[in-house]
Amino acid sequence: MTETLVRLRLSFFLGLRSLQRGNIGSLVMTVVIIGMVFTNMIFLPSVITGAIKLFEQQTIEFQSGNIIIEPKENAEFIDDLEDLLARVNRVPGVLRAAPHNDIGGVMKFKGSRLPGSIIAIRPHDEVLVTGISRMMKEGQYLGEGDTGVIVIGRLVAGHEDKSEDLMPSLGGVTTGDSIDVEYTNGVTRTYRVKGIFETKSYMVDPLVFITWEELESVRGQPIDQATSVLIRTVPGEDENEVKLSLIGMGIQEEIKTWHDLLGKAFAEVVQSYAVINNISTAVSIVIAIVVIFIVIMIKTLNNRRQIGILKAIGIHRTTITFSYVFQVIILAIMGIIFGLMILFALDRYFTVYPIVFPDGDIRPAFTIADIVSNAVLLFIASAVAGFIPAWQIAREDILTAMRG
Amino acid sequence: MIKITGLEKIYRLGVVEVPALRGLSFEIHRGDFLGLMGPSGSGKSTLLHLLGLLDFPTAGTIEIDGVDVAGLDDDERTDYRLRKMGYIFQDYALVAELTVLENVMLTALAQGKTESQAGEASRDVLSIVGLSNRLNHLPKELSGGEQQRVAIARSMVNRPIILFADEPCANLDTANSQAVLDQFHTINEELSQTIVMVSHEEWHKEYFHRIVYLKDGQIEREEDRHHHGD
Ligand SMILES: Nc1ncnc2c1ncn2[C@@H]1O[C@H](COP(=O)(O)OP(=O)(O)OP(=O)(O)O)[C@@H](O)[C@H]1O
Ligand SMILES: [Mg+2]
Repeated sequence: MTETLVRLRLSFFLGLRSLQRGNIGSLVMTVVIIGMVFTNMIFLPSVITGAIKLFEQQTIEFQSGNIIIEPKENAEFIDDLEDLLARVNRVPGVLRAAPHNDIGGVMKFKGSRLPGSIIAIRPHDEVLVTGISRMMKEGQYLGEGDTGVIVIGRLVAGHEDKSEDLMPSLGGVTTGDSIDVEYTNGVTRTYRVKGIFETKSYMVDPLVFITWEELESVRGQPIDQATSVLIRTVPGEDENEVKLSLIGMGIQEEIKTWHDLLGKAFAEVVQSYAVINNISTAVSIVIAIVVIFIVIMIKTLNNRRQIGILKAIGIHRTTITFSYVFQVIILAIMGIIFGLMILFALDRYFTVYPIVFPDGDIRPAFTIADIVSNAVLLFIASAVAGFIPAWQIAREDILTAMRG
Repeated sequence: MIKITGLEKIYRLGVVEVPALRGLSFEIHRGDFLGLMGPSGSGKSTLLHLLGLLDFPTAGTIEIDGVDVAGLDDDERTDYRLRKMGYIFQDYALVAELTVLENVMLTALAQGKTESQAGEASRDVLSIVGLSNRLNHLPKELSGGEQQRVAIARSMVNRPIILFADEPCANLDTANSQAVLDQFHTINEELSQTIVMVSHEEWHKEYFHRIVYLKDGQIEREEDRHHHGD
């Protein structure tokens, strides 16, 4: 065995015995603190990641699909819709395309007036592309070919007591109520509310939907135009690849993945959160370092005499230093395992009882990469924090140390 | 085997200088059982610390088998202590967190012996000091005499070329002291173990082959008792 191995083996032996026969209370306390620090390192970022994920999911699920096609610059509509849909639906990786056609109008109910855009959809395409049909709070979603009915978001329906509303509403509409819509082309229709949906997204819950047939009836002509086309891609497909295929198909309109749509501003928000996460991680690491430093400092100070004895009988100071480093490593491993147990419990808990935010239920999103990188970080920080005080004491003059 | 020449040690306490050893010269021979005696404060412990490479002399040389050990650096000294020296302290100086067996195994493991080699060697020396039945006890579970015997076993396990003991019996009653001295006598006789022991008990003289008397950091006289030995 090489000298180094002999020393490391002895360090491990000494460290292990010191933990086994040392103060159980301080061992448990240290493990608990490291566990808590680790939990803290993972948990706050995971909530933020969860919130970002939620927002992204809401965007894909209710707002844009994976990819959205919008009119060319300066154009108001996507023309030759049928032709475009046929081409899009043939692109590999596209599950389904669903057209939207927004038309301005004013909704009226019991004296409340609410201007907004009314979106015409094709239900049998729409249900394959967005998840709004699965988010019905009451009543039903639109069926193919429905006329005379409208489906509205929860924020449009609102409350009778408008002070409870977050934004202007119709003042307490329920399923079965009739509302009037005065379109910008002068046509007015009365609709029965077929259902009210609640996605919790502030971008989606203020929307209202009618069928394509209803729109054609309002406009008095077949409509071969859309204001946007939402595309759901086959799960697992890379949206950028599909986007390139769409461009390859000669589609001239603006094609954006949901990433493109969320755009720079969102990327910046995510970036800011990353900064917050990093600060939180740094604070956690500092706490861990300080705690471990103090624990080992106290331990080595209490063991000064013993360290002196070990040196006197010929144990090398690096052996002694690393016996403390090993203790810290073992403590860190136990702390990290304890932290993982806490995280596992939290994960279980929040899966069943998500954190309820106004814009959705947030489940902390733990990633293996986060857990591993934070564990490694904490591990290294712990080892360094243990090394320094042990190294200092192990350097001390033998006779001084032995006097205790 | 050990040649001490002009050894001086001055402790500096701020501006005050305490001359603990003032130019000692003598020799220790292989197989010696040497007693260091003298009044309190005469420099016995100081001398033993220097010989045991636990401290640095202010002046003078300590040659062990022709090597001036005073010139060794810190790591070399540690290694020298581990491989060539045994040291027994007045207060036993056992490692509290280790069992009797582990305390003894410690230096054997540090020398690179395997766990089973170290265990075997340790059991052997522990049986010599009569502690075979206490292997898995912690030091705090033993009497002072037993602890000092563990310390002897620990100092012996690496077969040092020289053993230093600084008042090993100071905390022991007469019966235990006698047991410890008998132990030293045995290993000195049977294994030709060189021993340097500090003491100020008159009756310990019986055990020593030779006695160096210190006074005020100087050798007052040497007494050869070999012919009295049994
Ligand atoms: N660390 C130290 N700093 C300053 N002076 C010291 C130190 N250690 C010992 N001395 C002094 O050196 C002198 C010799 O001390 P030493 O401990 O060697 O005596 P000793 O012969 O072992 O005495 P005792 O029989 O009481 O153990 C004494 O005057 C003592 O006060
Ligand atoms: Mg003394």
